[in-house]
Amino acid sequence: MRAATRTGIAALPAMLCGAAAVLGGAASVAAGNSWGADYFPNVPLTTHEGKVVRFYDDLLKGKAVAINLIYTHCSASCPLETAKLAQVQRLLGDRVGKDVFFYSISIDPSRDTPEVLKAYAQKFHAGPGWLFLTGKEQDIQLLSSKLGLSSLTDAARRDGHLPSLMVGHEPTGQWMRNSAVDNPRFLATIIGDFLGWRDEKPQRSYADLRELPKIDKGEYLFRSRCAACHTVGKGDGIGPDLAGVTTRRDHCWVARYVAEPDRVLADGDPIATELFARYKDVRMPNLSLAPDEVAVLLSYIEKQGRGR
Amino acid sequence: MYLPRNASKARLREAENARKNRAEIVKAFCDGQVSRRDLIRMGLMSAAGTLVMTNGLSVFAPSAYASIPTGAPSSPLFGVQPFTQPMPRFDVLPRNAVSTLSPAPTAQANTTQQPLNPALEGVAAGDTGPIEGRPPGPIWAHQQFAAFPPRVAIEVTQEGAKVNNAYNPQVPSSLNSGINAAAPFSPRFHPDLPVQSPLKLWTHNGTLPPKLMIVRYGEPVLFRHRNKLPFDVTQNGGFGRHTISTHEHNGHHGAENDGFTGAFFFPGQFYDYHYPIVLAGYRTINTGATDPRAGGPDDSGGIVKVAGDWRETMSTHWFHDHMFSFTAQNVYKGIAGMFNIYSSLDRGNEAINDGVNLRLPSGTATSFGNLDYDVNLMLADKAWDANGQQFFDIFNFDGFLGDRMTVNLAYKPFFEVERRKYRFRILNAAVSRFFKLALSDGSPMIQIANDGNLLPNPVTLTETDELGIAERYDLVIDFSRYSVGSKVWMVNLTEHEDGTGPKQDLSLAAALAGSSSDPAVGKFLEFRIVRNPAVADQSQVPATLIPNPDLSAVPVARQRTFVFGDGANQTTRDPVTSFRGPWGIGTNGGGVLDADFGRISAAPRFGTRETWTLVNDGGGWDHPIHIHFEEGQILARNGSANAVPAWEKGRKDVYRLRPDGSVTITMQFRDWGGMFMEHCHNTVHEDNAMLLRWEIDDNGAPFIRPLPTPIARPQGVTFQPPDDILPSAF
Repeated sequence: MRAATRTGIAALPAMLCGAAAVLGGAASVAAGNSWGADYFPNVPLTTHEGKVVRFYDDLLKGKAVAINLIYTHCSASCPLETAKLAQVQRLLGDRVGKDVFFYSISIDPSRDTPEVLKAYAQKFHAGPGWLFLTGKEQDIQLLSSKLGLSSLTDAARRDGHLPSLMVGHEPTGQWMRNSAVDNPRFLATIIGDFLGWRDEKPQRSYADLRELPKIDKGEYLFRSRCAACHTVGKGDGIGPDLAGVTTRRDHCWVARYVAEPDRVLADGDPIATELFARYKDVRMPNLSLAPDEVAVLLSYIEKQGRGR
Repeated sequence: MYLPRNASKARLREAENARKNRAEIVKAFCDGQVSRRDLIRMGLMSAAGTLVMTNGLSVFAPSAYASIPTGAPSSPLFGVQPFTQPMPRFDVLPRNAVSTLSPAPTAQANTTQQPLNPALEGVAAGDTGPIEGRPPGPIWAHQQFAAFPPRVAIEVTQEGAKVNNAYNPQVPSSLNSGINAAAPFSPRFHPDLPVQSPLKLWTHNGTLPPKLMIVRYGEPVLFRHRNKLPFDVTQNGGFGRHTISTHEHNGHHGAENDGFTGAFFFPGQFYDYHYPIVLAGYRTINTGATDPRAGGPDDSGGIVKVAGDWRETMSTHWFHDHMFSFTAQNVYKGIAGMFNIYSSLDRGNEAINDGVNLRLPSGTATSFGNLDYDVNLMLADKAWDANGQQFFDIFNFDGFLGDRMTVNLAYKPFFEVERRKYRFRILNAAVSRFFKLALSDGSPMIQIANDGNLLPNPVTLTETDELGIAERYDLVIDFSRYSVGSKVWMVNLTEHEDGTGPKQDLSLAAALAGSSSDPAVGKFLEFRIVRNPAVADQSQVPATLIPNPDLSAVPVARQRTFVFGDGANQTTRDPVTSFRGPWGIGTNGGGVLDADFGRISAAPRFGTRETWTLVNDGGGWDHPIHIHFEEGQILARNGSANAVPAWEKGRKDVYRLRPDGSVTITMQFRDWGGMFMEHCHNTVHEDNAMLLRWEIDDNGAPFIRPLPTPIARPQGVTFQPPDDILPSAF
């Protein structure tokens, strides 16, 4: 196959090589930044506000950015990514939109129209300086590979995409990959330090460190998986307040819903359908929790609810 | 010509901007990854056979990324032919008196303040910061510092490439392929390739060849690492981070010396690493130090006996950067060296016949640590740009592959040998590449060690197993079978097409035929048999080297399963070390989730052992897993003890999972407390997950101590309580 391909177009490589020779002398990359205009695609994208922008010229050039991939029909980690990034945005305050720009690019552009993305942004209380973007599928595939946000091993299904957050400073070509579902406080710190922001808050020296109170597995799971959208007794967040949920609902139903909310909803379960509608069509993500994790999580929620 | 000669300037500029991307197209085209018909269909080529530019970009970037080198055209050779330069031996770092260190080392980090350079990130004029970057306070103090006071100081800088005027191979020129060590040694991959810019190559002391630390049991070392990289973080030549954290790979040291990924230090700072060089089990086994097999060489051919289990003796380590999120870039950039440990068993002197010394090939000139016939080989694939400067694609997280093979950072060199036995300590220092090694004539080699550890029994092979990233194989090759004037080559049989793992292993004949599309396949090191040995070869390869410790009396406290996945279901990460990415670690059958301390809430019990099964569920990924701290033994592969090959029957610190395979290991937790990591040692993968933080209590209590991760800043190391519950969900 390979040999046949080569034979068939024997004349072409020579032509291409000639072109490269003509251009080679002038093609050196600007010193200090290998990752600039000649690396990033300047493809058109549309924001959730309906504005058409060019990726490099309008979104990247001269800016510090944090970029991830999402899609609104995602039943895996995307909702958690978005909820966590919303927390990061609140921690960074008005620096977002001024010193750093957040971009969430849809990998499902045919369904994620600007209107859909606008509604999605509102559900998660995304603030100014955070754009949700759609465009041509081919352009977005190119973008994601150029940004290191896709992998050769990505599953064919979209849920296989990497939950990564690329943080970069275009003018100096500095880029760093983080997890988009990281601890928001840590992410906010990392972004600031990476971008060289001066932290004016008083710091506590590591020499003053004291051991932290132990947190149990249930609390840890709640903090890392649930707390971006739920509280226990502090009111509704992106999702419902979970105080009393273990008595309000049938135990088996809750356990199954926590374990595989996507399936429960897809089955047309009436409670799941009602919740989906009540909480602005935000999908509860399937976080692949194991049965023992579901158990300790529910026991933690129950304990917290009682303790109030 | 597809561009008319009278093209407008704008058109030419556009074409220039697109050159890199079109080169990808050309390469994909030439490599047969796309056909002319594909190009026409994609609208990239007209029917007349000319390339059409679409935004100046390749729309099939994944295909281009599948090429080698990753994300770039092939590295130009400037007319250089293979096997035209001598292979330089490692540059041995001077071992100084501890009194030469200024300031003197301290148990806790030295927080003496110094003015900070305002070019550092987050620094304003007038700011000060500590001279040592180690986290301050008792938690990060050197454990057992008074019990193991350093007796040797090794001080090294990290800096941009420069000429080496102090090269010390510690062997005569005749054993270094004729290299005159007194001549200035330029930082380049070949004398006829361009000198590397200080922004593109960052090495220990800023120089080549790579550096070798020589240590021995019973002689604690203070390794002072000074960061002299550019203060301005943007002066990195497109890849690499100027903050570093140094990991002595598989050192049996306290956690504060382990190169914890978040405990990095800045330009202008140093970090003191305390390497006590003790045998594992020193608190509980042979505590009176009476067994001569447990010891290190003294300066006159004798033994300094030490406590511990002689069967835990280690030989070949390496040290490298472990910077949070930038390990792959920094190791590739040159922050890697080797670390030979000498012991009463592995003396580095082949003549001493005291019933303990194994007399492995080394030499006789000095009482220990002879390098004459004991040769460190560091294998790494590299890529460079049109100007010959090192290139790395920072946006490829599948794994970076270079197209030019280097040994000791020299492009396809030759090495002159005598007609006798040699020991080669071979390190896979690649970022993502595996190597399967053979001699070009198919002659046997004797594998005597795997990772840091001499095997129970030597294994004779004509082809090695695939050598994973960070693995070390010590091979003995007997050149006495060749005649003076003949040549034989070391050959790589493993073919890659991307960085996720090997594509296939070729036969020796196929690898030598040069038909592989992977330029790193084939001959990469030429041995020239130049003379008979000046002194008779006295070395031996005994049938028994170092048996495994008998663990039958050590209770198994716990069995765990870790699943290394490809990221489809990743949702969370460790809130303390605060790092995760697309490759997760699941435990105990709980689905593929990332490693976090909540999942390992029962920390390993001090003084017990555990049995771990590491499972690769990664859809074709091949993960070499490194567990920091203490080596383990492989009990089974894919559930079967019989599936463990002879060369893996010793102790190891890197475990190769193989695609969809599993490996069951057992390991002990003792001697030192602290935080340790278990991660994938495909360094590109590692940066993006697979960091696991251990806490081992220092007096044996089985618990995990949640500590905030250090936040390293030039002004000093701080912390934030790892509380990710915000006041409300909004």
